[in-house]
Amino acid sequence: MHLIRNAAVFIVIASFVLLTQAFGSEKELLFHAGLGQRSALNEIKAVFEKKYPEIKVNFSYKGSGYFIADITRSKQGDLFMPGEEFYLMQAVERGFLSDYDPQKDVPAYFVTVIITPKGNPKNITKIEDFAKPGVRVGLGNPRSCAIGIWHQKTFQKAGIWDKVKENAALSAKCIPELGNATQHKAIDATIVWSTTAVLYLRDVEIIPIEHKYRGIIRLPVGVLKFARHKKAARQLMDYILSDEGRAIFRKHAYAVNPVIPVDEQGFCLDGTTDQDMTYLVNAAKAVKHDTFPVTEKTVGDLMEEVLRQKKTIRAGD
Amino acid sequence: MGQKRRGGWWPALCIGLTGTILLIYVLLAASNWIYLGWHDTLYFFSKSRMWERLWLTVWTATVSTCLSLVIGIPAGYALSRFKFPCRYLFASIIDLPIVVSPAVVGAFLFGITTRFPFDWVSEHYDIYIGRNVYGVLLVQFTVTVAFCTRLMKASFDMIPTRFEAVSNTLGASPFRTFFKVVLPMAKNGIIASMIVVWARAAAEWEGLMLFVGATEGKTDIMPFAIYLDWNGGMMGWVTSMSIVCMLMAVSAISAMKIIGGKSNVW
Repeated sequence: MHLIRNAAVFIVIASFVLLTQAFGSEKELLFHAGLGQRSALNEIKAVFEKKYPEIKVNFSYKGSGYFIADITRSKQGDLFMPGEEFYLMQAVERGFLSDYDPQKDVPAYFVTVIITPKGNPKNITKIEDFAKPGVRVGLGNPRSCAIGIWHQKTFQKAGIWDKVKENAALSAKCIPELGNATQHKAIDATIVWSTTAVLYLRDVEIIPIEHKYRGIIRLPVGVLKFARHKKAARQLMDYILSDEGRAIFRKHAYAVNPVIPVDEQGFCLDGTTDQDMTYLVNAAKAVKHDTFPVTEKTVGDLMEEVLRQKKTIRAGD
Repeated sequence: MGQKRRGGWWPALCIGLTGTILLIYVLLAASNWIYLGWHDTLYFFSKSRMWERLWLTVWTATVSTCLSLVIGIPAGYALSRFKFPCRYLFASIIDLPIVVSPAVVGAFLFGITTRFPFDWVSEHYDIYIGRNVYGVLLVQFTVTVAFCTRLMKASFDMIPTRFEAVSNTLGASPFRTFFKVVLPMAKNGIIASMIVVWARAAAEWEGLMLFVGATEGKTDIMPFAIYLDWNGGMMGWVTSMSIVCMLMAVSAISAMKIIGGKSNVW
């Protein structure tokens, strides 16, 4: 009885304290961002908040498919950075973003790579190998994640889509599912973004794709029409688009070259991203083998990521 | 001797099956712990982030449990003792959040807080309703209050009404009877239910996913954080946090068994 009475007093006091805290004077930005951008954006948030102490950034991380429903319904949020341009265009079509500039507002790109379990048991080296009988291929579901659309596009371009579909052992709803399945050897090969591959350096092999099948995925950012703090939101967006912001993306295996020549389907036309791919492959070697040198020259900007993953056997931070 | 041994296979089978279930769970935990390894266990358990998240989980679940109790105890008592119109309808509606998925609760909360007057409040007072820790509390409360009422009703149902009748005939008011007679008798049941409700609140995440969205350090209670880190490929965090969650659950259940004692609410 005393317990219950004490609890009641506690609740009244606690709720009062909490409510008074709720109305702070800081500018709080609500940033709708794809789950996949989490590590890079968290780092950007830390640097940005140090630079502008009066602005606080709150993320609402979700799978990109969730955003349109959320934004349509709630009309809340200051910035928007989904995992594919397609989702941003949906917002533009509905009039949620007014000033999107496709030329300028793309701070970073995903690049597609092949990943296989450690040791590459089925000896996958190129796109055509996905059609070999007995290879368990992980595919994304095109309805729920962008990687699924790219799987279809890539294999159709190579003319092996039907055979690959027969080999499919997994229809993933989101891209981490593909990474985790590869890590646990549930599939023999799949295609993911470079930024996903870099999370599993210890447990997967990374194989770069030749230019004509290498997809470049644009990652735009925009300020939403109903932003509360338009100026602060703009400041954050400018920071993300600045060289400093891009450098942070680069540390997490995004391609950040301002111009990457692509064909109308989004496949790579030249070797702009070749160096990034070399770094990525080296990074995977460096985490697996202690003798492999970890220097600016071998792994480039992925150094921090490599050191992070070398620190523990099961990747954490 | 022969008499005693006859039919002995049946208890043995039952105990054997219990042992099998136990073995499966122990294996599950052990294999994950082995996967994590000793070095990584020490590493992740020494990180402050882990304990910040645990603390966030503990205090949000505690606050929402207290809120649920404030409503759940009287409501459970009412459903158990008093006759009023539509009582069965009330009882069925209160069961709803237990039966439907918490995702539905999340979606519905999302629906209601984006309509008048909440949209007006959020526009004029510069707050995003539901995107912060209050959103977490709201989801937890919505899911657990029904659960709490249900369990409280069960606790009160088990207490014979005779004592109340005696108390009433001796001249105590219903209010006084409730606090002096019914509550002390239902104490064990209430505490046991409280812990179950607390565990339910601490395990909530589907509703959060839809209604709140994750802000690291603010709304990522343990189950949500596990999902986030799973998406980030951080298997070390996933495994170590799962282990902490499991330890938390085991301690909650043990506490319930010890305190609840003879109560058979659960």
